[in-house]
Amino acid sequence: MPKSQALAIAFVAPALLVLAAILGWPLVSAVLLSLQDVKTIGSQGQWIGFQNYAGVISNPAFWRSVAMSVAWVVANAVIQTVLALVAALTLHQNFPGVKIARTWIILTWIVPTVVVVIIWRWLFSTSGGMINPLLMQTGIVERPVGFFSTPWTAMATLIFINSWRWFPFIALMMLAGLTRIPSDLYEAARIDGANGWKRFTRITWPLLAPTLSVLAIVGTLLSFNVFDIIWLLTAGGPAGGTRTLPVMIYETAFKGYRLSEAATISVFATILLMVFALAATRLLAREGENR
Amino acid sequence: MKKHLLGLFAGAALLPLNAFAAPVEITLWHMEQPPHRVQRIQEIIDAFNAAHPEIVVKQEPQNWGEVYAKAPAAISAGAGPDMLFAIPDFTPILKDIGALTSVKDFVDELDKKHDFVDSTVQSYSYDGGVWAVPLYNMAMNLWYRKSVFDAAGLKVPETWTDWKAAAEKLSTDGVYGIGVPANKQLYTDQTIYSVMVNGGATEIYNEDGSLRFNNPQTIAAYDYYAGLQKLSPPDSTSWTWGEAEACFVSKSCGMIMQFSVISSYDTQGGGEPNDLGVAPIPHADGESGHNTIAYANAVMLLSKDEAKRKASEEFVRYLLEPETYGKFLNMEPGLFMPVTADGASAASFWDDPMAQKYKSQIETVIANAQNGRLFGFTSGRTFPSIAAISAQNIVAETLQSMVVGGQSAAEAVAAGQERMVEVSK
Repeated sequence: MPKSQALAIAFVAPALLVLAAILGWPLVSAVLLSLQDVKTIGSQGQWIGFQNYAGVISNPAFWRSVAMSVAWVVANAVIQTVLALVAALTLHQNFPGVKIARTWIILTWIVPTVVVVIIWRWLFSTSGGMINPLLMQTGIVERPVGFFSTPWTAMATLIFINSWRWFPFIALMMLAGLTRIPSDLYEAARIDGANGWKRFTRITWPLLAPTLSVLAIVGTLLSFNVFDIIWLLTAGGPAGGTRTLPVMIYETAFKGYRLSEAATISVFATILLMVFALAATRLLAREGENR
Repeated sequence: MKKHLLGLFAGAALLPLNAFAAPVEITLWHMEQPPHRVQRIQEIIDAFNAAHPEIVVKQEPQNWGEVYAKAPAAISAGAGPDMLFAIPDFTPILKDIGALTSVKDFVDELDKKHDFVDSTVQSYSYDGGVWAVPLYNMAMNLWYRKSVFDAAGLKVPETWTDWKAAAEKLSTDGVYGIGVPANKQLYTDQTIYSVMVNGGATEIYNEDGSLRFNNPQTIAAYDYYAGLQKLSPPDSTSWTWGEAEACFVSKSCGMIMQFSVISSYDTQGGGEPNDLGVAPIPHADGESGHNTIAYANAVMLLSKDEAKRKASEEFVRYLLEPETYGKFLNMEPGLFMPVTADGASAASFWDDPMAQKYKSQIETVIANAQNGRLFGFTSGRTFPSIAAISAQNIVAETLQSMVVGGQSAAEAVAAGQERMVEVSK
């Protein structure tokens, strides 16, 4: 083995060991747990092979949660990308107060989740909330709307709140990408007579694409694993209408006392995310080579 | 002389042990998180520690949302508390993992001295043991404003027909006649069961442990409740206790079912004690007598260490002494009701300014609590599956299938029983 390679391994080894300890071991534990029939934390279980896997695959509620998670991720990705792009392009301009605006925008992201939940729950409430009276006064609705009262409205409201919370973070990432685009490209395009739309489609978008691709992967993984906002606002309801996979895992483990079944669902979720992450990074690498 | 010398030596040998023996440290986990409750518990702990230098009690507040997962994990890791507050459906979980030993003898001793309300001990008595010491009771009541009822020409409803008619009459522009939840959450479990027990649907188990949730009385109770829910705010499908209280104190709801609204009514709802009405939950037409759901909160003694267990018992004895007990219950005036006869008449309970101000309401709440039941803990029959049925809020989920899913009461209750059977496996 060349000396440089040995040195590289020596440098990387501690980090790999730490990763193995904090990621690898829990993952192995989850797989081992999924092969047993442990009900509650602390109780003993029997080895039952792949029974949990068969049970989960044949459970329609699991597939509903998978579909719910996919819908959640896609809707969040689309809304957050659009909002973040608009915000990033705006903050990329030079206008008075832009520095304050760039700091101010991250406020929603730094507010603790519990505070976000309390604020929005109160705003959307039919007893003393602000949004319903506004909608009624402007004639948009005649009666107060129960934003969390049906599966569809609850999911839409959750997506709105989650997007509101996370789009500034993505906007800042995009802004960092925008600042790396050389300004002389825009100047040259302007001299050549390119209008704003042309400059966006021919310069901004292609040069921002690598940043957007990375954000798409990171954002998808983050969105998929969102639990706190959903649990605190709807706990997966009403009627299971917002029960994404993380919510189902929590419910199964800590409400249903089926720890091994929850571990099985989490193994499926991990496989799903790993497949996505591998496919996405390969696609990204291929695009990088083509560029 | 020889005797004196021996005594001196023995004394000298024992002195360092007594002088330097470390006090027994015990930890209390409870779920009374609001700061004023934590402060009141700390005051009681401080007084206990001062009076018992050989024991040091420490509190570590937890929350109900986490403790079902956290306590078994902590106990398995050997980092569990010595005392842990409980509601009846929490206890079987810890009993199943072998974390509990019966406290029957200790409860008997306390019963002789203080006389427990029988139903509170019953909730923790099964499988030949008593698994926790009752500490305080919470019972569901119907809360209303007397002035609002007077203005509408209404009397306090006695039967379901009266109740629905009152809710309909109170439904005016911008006001909901009643606020009842339909969330898949514990509060809805509590309110729907309060209606069930007033319609003859008290038992969810047969004597052999099979489920009898799907019966005509339960279906009628769900059907009736869904009718009340139509008169409630549209977001009541996501309500927990706080939203219902907010609806009542803001005068957006004419009536609500709640354990107590005294605290929020006093601070945010006008605070006029003569206007605050509380009544038993109305019963079905043809039934007689009012029932309600009642939660006997208790404390589990978890320590296997003899010294710590004795210290924990000493602390519980101290808590239930009438001089201390009222102060403990009044950490949230009007919400926590006594579970002992001497506690119900303790000066420390009634001398509290809030207890004085809302005396008649508190007396009604205590009277209502006497007819308290809890699903899965009735008739001395308790089956382990009740822990999963309660934790997954299947009673509330059944209601959501009607209110959100559009099922009929018969379909929803049949599906509810299937779910109960499924989680019982």
